[in-house]
Amino acid sequence: MIKTKDDKPAGNGLPSDRQIHKREIEGLKGQIQKGKGVDIGTMFVKCAYKEGDEIIFKSQRNAFFEVEHTDFTKKILDNSKVKYIIKEDNLYVVGDEALQFANMFNKDTRRPLSKGVISPTEKEALPIIELLIKSVVGEPAHKPEGNGLPSARQSHKGEIVYFSVPGEPLDAEFNVLYHIKMVEGFLKTLGYTPKPINEGHAIILSELAEEDFTGMGLSFGGGMINVCLSFMSVPIFKFSVAKSGDWIDQQVAMAVDETASRVSAIKESSLDLSKEGDLSKIESALSIYYNHLIEYVIENIKQEFAKARRLPRIANPISIILSGGTSLPKGFSGRFKQILDRLKLPIPVGSVRMASQPLRSVAKGALIAASADESKK
Amino acid sequence: MGLTGTEADIINCVARLRLVTKDQIRRQVGFSLEYIGFLCRDLIRRCYLGFSEGHYFLAKDGIRTLLAEDTPKIDRKLLKEVAEEVARQISGELKRAVKGIKIPVPPSGIRKDAGFETSPEERIKINTDFDFPIEDESLVLESNIDKIGIKIEKEKSDDMDKTVRLFKEMHKKGRKR
Repeated sequence: MIKTKDDKPAGNGLPSDRQIHKREIEGLKGQIQKGKGVDIGTMFVKCAYKEGDEIIFKSQRNAFFEVEHTDFTKKILDNSKVKYIIKEDNLYVVGDEALQFANMFNKDTRRPLSKGVISPTEKEALPIIELLIKSVVGEPAHKPEGNGLPSARQSHKGEIVYFSVPGEPLDAEFNVLYHIKMVEGFLKTLGYTPKPINEGHAIILSELAEEDFTGMGLSFGGGMINVCLSFMSVPIFKFSVAKSGDWIDQQVAMAVDETASRVSAIKESSLDLSKEGDLSKIESALSIYYNHLIEYVIENIKQEFAKARRLPRIANPISIILSGGTSLPKGFSGRFKQILDRLKLPIPVGSVRMASQPLRSVAKGALIAASADESKK
Repeated sequence: MGLTGTEADIINCVARLRLVTKDQIRRQVGFSLEYIGFLCRDLIRRCYLGFSEGHYFLAKDGIRTLLAEDTPKIDRKLLKEVAEEVARQISGELKRAVKGIKIPVPPSGIRKDAGFETSPEERIKINTDFDFPIEDESLVLESNIDKIGIKIEKEKSDDMDKTVRLFKEMHKKGRKR
């Protein structure tokens, strides 16, 4: 056995720190199971994979903010551990800090994704979203079997990764194919075998195993609401509407003359939809637009039921799972139930509940699909 | 239900330009693209407008209703011009049909008065299962993300293996059926 300098035991006969570290990494690698799930949302990119008896989630906020590019700024950002990206002469703060910077300067953040897909109006969208995806997904932990040469990678037999995609939007004239193909192509360049999964369907896989994957998954994301009705794990209908958290922020911002970033920060930190009185101007506007949004999505679900020609006979009342960042404010599920009671769906509804981890359920559902696919190999 | 002022403005704009995109309407009428889209969808639903390949046009039923109702704010002179054009078009089509020329029905859809609507039975299936090579544009970026690290959360996987097994079984059963 050839030993490198680093593999030599330390002078005291005990293994060196570097050897211990190397063994730890190897031990961990052995436990990482094949298959990954990625949630590519307007607000966050999140990757889930299984390591031993734990699911690991890596996430990154999908926003950036341009600051003045000087060596001094760069040094300050490095020292304060603020993430940044430099492209040519431009310096962009990324992640959660982008939102803080935007609020500080009373401006809005820029986003690589808009309404659930790669933003058509953001010129830096593609390189930035690629970098953010790469940072959370990383390289495959399991390389394709064979000689490991590039040809193996090109044959796309790498580790399976399921990535979330929105359903076709009912209320917007854009198609999601470009978005799907760009993300799929990029994941292939990283060495994966990418497969798309509808966001609502992923929620069902993550949350409705005990109900034989029968029920409805709703993902209230940043740019879209995704809906999927599934029967025995098979999607019956799936669609999206291009209104969600961002739409609420924009409407409230216009109503109360604030920036959307500031409204978003308040919405994420302190909004309580169960509160009935003593609401601030922003809270009142948020409450009004939440009502509007919920009513809008329920009316769209009713229309989809009306359009569906052959619905399977579902014996028991279905469960509805609410998920996504826009569903996080306290009292959201109560508000949803209240409006649903009034508007009623054409099928009996059992429970309406929040996903166990509303920000993780899409990535987790995608991981379940990837693990099932990997075990078939 | 009658037309609101903005809806009448949209109808007049479409009548003037005959075939018009949402953006053109927005530039003429004002308001956001989203709001114009919302109003146009409603006008399609109420059979005033038709929509095909990204363009709105006046629907025949809509022209008939508007002329019959004497709707306020609607430019009747312009509407009559459009109605005459439509009538000429129909008569031309009829003449051709009589001469034995077959007018092809677009396979992708059936024509309704409110525009083209795809019939589910005749829907074309387009293969989207193709490889599209992408270049890694992020290679030109400099970043400290790797140095600072990514936010990591963990949760116990508990029943995940059971869920994966159940999902696989259901898929198998589904395929057998």
